[in-house]
Amino acid sequence: MGNRRRAAAFSHATQAVSGPTAETIKTAGRKHSICMVSDFFYPNMGGVESHIYLLSQCLIEKGHKVVVVTHAYGHRKGVRYLTNGLKVYYLPLQVMYNQSTTTTFFHSMPLLRCVFVRERITVVHSHSSFSAMAHDALFHAKTMGLNTVFTDHSLFGFADVSSVLTNKLLTVSLCDTNHIVCVSYTSKENTVLRAALDPEIVSVIPNAVEHGDFTPDPSQRNNDRITIVVISRLVYRKGIDLLSGIIPELCLKHPDLHFLIGGEGPKRLVLEEVREKYQLHDRVRLLGPLEHKDVRGVLVQGHIFLNTSLTEAFCMAIVEGASCGLQVVSTRVGGIPEVLPEDLITLCEPTVQSLCAGLETVIARQRSGSVSTPASVHARVRNLYTWRNVAERTEKVYDRVCGEEVLPLDRRLRRLRTHCGPVAGSIFAFVAVLDFLFLLFLQWWLPDRLMDLAADASGPFGLWRQEASESKSKAPSKRGGQ
Amino acid sequence: MGPDDGPGAAVAWRKVLWERQPYPDNYVDQRFLEELRRNEGLRQYRYWAVVREAGLVGQQLSCVAIFITLWLYMEQGLLSPGTLLLISLASSLLGYGLYQALASQAEPVLQPRTCWADLQSVTIFLSFIFGFSPVLKTLTESVSTDTVYAMSAVMLLAHLVSFPYTHTSPPGSLSLNAALFASVCLASRLPGALHTFTMLSCALMVFALWPCLLRRVKNGAPHHFAAVCVGVCAAGVGGLASRWPGGAVILALALATVILLCPWLLVQLQRHKDNIHGPWDEAEISEDLSHFLQ
Repeated sequence: MGNRRRAAAFSHATQAVSGPTAETIKTAGRKHSICMVSDFFYPNMGGVESHIYLLSQCLIEKGHKVVVVTHAYGHRKGVRYLTNGLKVYYLPLQVMYNQSTTTTFFHSMPLLRCVFVRERITVVHSHSSFSAMAHDALFHAKTMGLNTVFTDHSLFGFADVSSVLTNKLLTVSLCDTNHIVCVSYTSKENTVLRAALDPEIVSVIPNAVEHGDFTPDPSQRNNDRITIVVISRLVYRKGIDLLSGIIPELCLKHPDLHFLIGGEGPKRLVLEEVREKYQLHDRVRLLGPLEHKDVRGVLVQGHIFLNTSLTEAFCMAIVEGASCGLQVVSTRVGGIPEVLPEDLITLCEPTVQSLCAGLETVIARQRSGSVSTPASVHARVRNLYTWRNVAERTEKVYDRVCGEEVLPLDRRLRRLRTHCGPVAGSIFAFVAVLDFLFLLFLQWWLPDRLMDLAADASGPFGLWRQEASESKSKAPSKRGGQ
Repeated sequence: MGPDDGPGAAVAWRKVLWERQPYPDNYVDQRFLEELRRNEGLRQYRYWAVVREAGLVGQQLSCVAIFITLWLYMEQGLLSPGTLLLISLASSLLGYGLYQALASQAEPVLQPRTCWADLQSVTIFLSFIFGFSPVLKTLTESVSTDTVYAMSAVMLLAHLVSFPYTHTSPPGSLSLNAALFASVCLASRLPGALHTFTMLSCALMVFALWPCLLRRVKNGAPHHFAAVCVGVCAAGVGGLASRWPGGAVILALALATVILLCPWLLVQLQRHKDNIHGPWDEAEISEDLSHFLQ
């Protein structure tokens, strides 16, 4: 059945691209009130977290209003403001596993409704398929008649039981979502297959890198030796086992080769064992966990950046490495071949032999001096991926989404039944009805008109900048009260 | 560059992110899902080959039935322990001879165990069981008979479930322990200490030694393997029929399901298999990297 649906989606996909619709033109240039929802946000660190933060900042700069909703991190709960009046709600929801909350489909409704109504949200933008809160928010937003966008940051297989279950949930969650954003073409193919989607409603908007933070500095390099830098979490999925095979192989051949490894994780033990066994303590340095601000300081010490990941939707690390002027060697997996032009990256198969061969050619080129200078590499990379560009493209997604209608309950139920199979579809259609009744109850219990509207910090009527410019003496600005 | 940004230009679309292309972000090219691969490395099963492999499961089921039959005979006093001991001694000598004969044809082992070592093990095992059989006989006296039967049934089931069918030698420790636990339970309900001793040595033969011999047969004389399985199944059904016809019918049905119906289902359902692979799959490390650490 999934097979047939996929094929149908595919044949539909090959039709011509539709031109700009009347609604898109009408809504273009409108300012949106966007609510970013994800379990993953500061103080947690990672790709999704910085994506949400930097995208929000660029959207605020463009005059949109953005609030972020996440769960409470320890003592960090309630409302906080970040740079440029980015308001963050840390909701008191129970964390279950890996910083992800549970979903009961109902318990988060009152809080999320409160946020959506008070902030006059028009678009709900959820991030990461691992975040239960993101799916909850999509579900409730559709019940409340808000437009929804979802960004998928990761790749997922199809083979095992856990992926069968999560893919089914993703199908349910995305079947009536207005638009989906993926970070690479490979990720788009993956998401379209996993959730049985029409590829027309999936946009590809890559991640970006703050190139100002990743500038080359050749003076930090020690040119008596060749340094290979690896910066990643030391886990199986990042291919650290391959690295443990590469290190002894290359260190025996090249006595001037050094490794600089940043990051922490369970596979650190493997690397330590290799270092111990081959007596490479002076040539393989394990730096442990790195803060984001220290990454550049490590990168600029190297000549070659090595990435051994086994799966990757969009690898930001290799862009950061190239931005610092390093020669990049990486495995050919996931979306990586799409990220950098062929002359800036050496792609290898995920085997020790192939990676060693790739590294050897780059080392030979480095010795003969036939590599481009760090400054020229940086100059080529610096304009490839910018957050401004990401924000511009995301804005267009919002414009399109706001021109679309949110499915009313009866059609939503029909969509669930036809799209998600008779069993899961019926179950979730029932849940959707319950959610709707719960919303009616909440609206009776605490009507929308009785809710205080929050003062906007950012956005078209934002108070933050006006206030800051009018009364600099009255700093540090109004806080709380919401 | 947003979604629906107007008609595409004449430039061919490329699957790259670093180039700004004159296509909208939600553009879907002809080449979309080009790298999708279906049912890679699919094995086409043939019905009789699967049946042959399923025979192993069936004969293990029958082994349990044979063991229960022996126990029924002993419990009802239809078989004296002396007779059974003689029969099992004869069959184990026969089996041992067969085992050694097949050893030369099967995989060559670097240091074959000598007959003397085997004899030592047998002596140790038998004398221990013989010494402990009065203890084992009274071990479960304070437990009600129903509980003992229920426990044996559960343990024999656990033996069947956890039996390592893919590599049958030596029998997995969980399955062997479960089977011996069940046989101790059952043997303790027999009338005398000699009965208990006989029952336990039979259990060792059926659950520990027979799988080893069967593996040799499977590797060394694959043509006779099917015949051996059929023989064991027939013996199981026939033996059970002599004491408990209802049970024999159930066993025959179970064997038919496991050996004939399940392989048929497997082969039939194979055509519905839809396994998809693509560039998003996690790469597998196929090399053996352990030598870097040794």
